[in-house]
Amino acid sequence: MDEEPTPGTTPRPTPMGWAQAAIAVNSVLQLSIPMLLKLELNDHEPLYIDFRHHAFAWSTPLTSFPADAVLLGLQTQPIELDAPLLFDLPGQDLDGLLWLIGTNSFSGARASWLASDDRYKLTRWPNLTQHIHSMRQMHMIAMLGNAYLSSSELAAMAGVEEPDAQRLINALSLMRILAQSTEVPAAVVAEQPVAKRESLFARLRAKLGR
Amino acid sequence: MAEHVILFTGPMGAGKTTAIQAVSEIAVVSTEANNSERHLVDKPTTTVALDYGEILLDGEEKIRLYGIPGQRRFDFMWAILKKRAQGMVLLVNNDAPDPIGEMLTYLDDFRELYDRGGVVVGVSRSDVSSEPSLAAYGDALAVAHPGKVVPVFTVDPRNNDHMRMVLLALVANIEMRALFGLTESRSI
Repeated sequence: MDEEPTPGTTPRPTPMGWAQAAIAVNSVLQLSIPMLLKLELNDHEPLYIDFRHHAFAWSTPLTSFPADAVLLGLQTQPIELDAPLLFDLPGQDLDGLLWLIGTNSFSGARASWLASDDRYKLTRWPNLTQHIHSMRQMHMIAMLGNAYLSSSELAAMAGVEEPDAQRLINALSLMRILAQSTEVPAAVVAEQPVAKRESLFARLRAKLGR
Repeated sequence: MAEHVILFTGPMGAGKTTAIQAVSEIAVVSTEANNSERHLVDKPTTTVALDYGEILLDGEEKIRLYGIPGQRRFDFMWAILKKRAQGMVLLVNNDAPDPIGEMLTYLDDFRELYDRGGVVVGVSRSDVSSEPSLAAYGDALAVAHPGKVVPVFTVDPRNNDHMRMVLLALVANIEMRALFGLTESRSI
């Protein structure tokens, strides 16, 4: 049951996490209309996104991304294509922010805009030199680059928990670099010679991965 | 002794020698000479023969890294090396007049290698020129090679982290293409 606000005090804002930001960003990107978005977060300066330029400005560096930040407010504003800039360009590339919002929202559950029976395939790789990622995520991205997979199929093939696969799918979907289909049948794995040792990727990861 | 061959290709000045130096575990064997095409690339020296580096895996297994001269007058060497290679790192300068056109030309030249193994595109100098965007590279690839998803990353060839990541992505992609039966599979 909701708490009654104490008379004379300001009601506390309902805590919101990155999922609300992800839903807002996704809805703006789907509309493909010029828009500004301002996110207000606890303990951080406001975050501004200018979708006209696929850029954002935020005093918090992405290397210190607050995964558990509380979103206090969210404002969108349609804007003319040639309207003045909200911040100096080039700003920061929006994909890096979308990657982090996507992987840190919905607690590993399916993003609200995705359907339960879909399979997914990359349309292009994320720019991994600019995104903080794990080797497991890279491995899953390589899978999605070559076959349509559901989140459960991806998790099983990669040997990860399904929420980890779902977080990745959420992020790639938010970045709009995933195709999705309910029609495509399950991917067929080619017959493989019996492996006498780990894959080259695994051995190279052991050597080079950090 | 198990060995794997990775080629580094791309136009003059894209950073092939530097990229191999960033990841090789041996001192890179590089032969350079005067730039005979200084009207194209203002660089006092440029690769005219093979660059060679290595990454040692367990035992005697190694990954051989070959940098191939960017000038087309050396394309006879491309034919020899691409037969031995399993994968390719294609480097292009984002501040070149037509980097996407160059990428597509090189991919055509090395199509056989791509069909058999895999390719990763590294876009250098994106700090100098932010356009074209990676999305533009992706769009061009989708038109030229429908159904294939070639990894494209911005890279600084001097950056060891970037070049390690490029190699890992290349190997992961080659293995997945083989797993799903998309290549004329050859063991890697």
